[in-house]
Amino acid sequence: MNKVWWVIVPVLLILFGLLGYGLTSNPKHIPSPLIGKPFPLIEGMDLNGNKVTLGVVNGKPTVVNVWASWCAACRSEHNVLIRGSRIYGDKISLVAINYKDELVNAKAWLRQLGNPYLWSYHDLSGRAGLELGVYGVPETFFVNKKGIIVEKISAPLTDEQFAAGVELMSK
Amino acid sequence: MKNNIKKIMLLTFLLGISFSAFSKPVDEDPIEREMLDIAAKLRCTVCQNQPVAESHSGLAGDMRNLITEKLKQGKNEKEIVQFFVDRYGDYVLLEPPQSGNGAVLWVLPPLLFLFAALAAVLMMKSRSKSQSTMPPPVLSDADKERIRLARGIDADEKNKS
Repeated sequence: MNKVWWVIVPVLLILFGLLGYGLTSNPKHIPSPLIGKPFPLIEGMDLNGNKVTLGVVNGKPTVVNVWASWCAACRSEHNVLIRGSRIYGDKISLVAINYKDELVNAKAWLRQLGNPYLWSYHDLSGRAGLELGVYGVPETFFVNKKGIIVEKISAPLTDEQFAAGVELMSK
Repeated sequence: MKNNIKKIMLLTFLLGISFSAFSKPVDEDPIEREMLDIAAKLRCTVCQNQPVAESHSGLAGDMRNLITEKLKQGKNEKEIVQFFVDRYGDYVLLEPPQSGNGAVLWVLPPLLFLFAALAAVLMMKSRSKSQSTMPPPVLSDADKERIRLARGIDADEKNKS
């Protein structure tokens, strides 16, 4: 009898451990398989109708922020991007993907809150978003000089995350 | 009179269903069917536990459009599913992959079942062993007397009722 319990108890403990891990981890956090992969070169138009290509911009490490005027969390995140562009502006390129947004709304949004981006790729259909595994705005990609995605944040960016991302990109 | 009403009702009914003879079979776009088959295997990443085929979220709609587009380009199911896995990870698959981390999910339940069965067999064996090694109870004369008495009273009570 006792011998059997020596086997049953550890197995139960392992099971409870796994259950506990599963129940306490965040089901909304999806690890991105894109980290370590090259950022796909996607061509399109910016909000002003100029041709732009996503990827490494101006030969500098590039931060690509995905935003939309209908996204409430983007509004709270916006100041972090404005501060970030002031601090790291000469070291990095900050561009954006304007995700499934009307041109008028997007432009009004930037006029009202300030425009920290070199340009915003206009992704009206959400096609570029799918190409990049975007599932909710805001999301931010950190791309190093070689065009490799070194970090992806799928939540409103914080100052700390911005700094850490810049650090990772310059390695 | 009643018969007539019945006849009229029957005729009306037959007339009603006769129109279906002129209907055309529904044209089903084979690509649409294939698209839905693929979309049924993909998880809508914003709704966590709903396949892309059933979700009304904007993202799922975009994903369905992209699947249709890729099918029209001649891509097969495997390539399309891989496209989403490359970008969204294994998470996008409703059925976990049978290799890598996903293998644990497939192997663990049968293993647990085997383990439980083994434990049950061992327990039953040890139980039957301990019973067979126990000596049969020895009854003293006083015990036997008490048993006889108890049985006798029982029998008496049954007779009374």
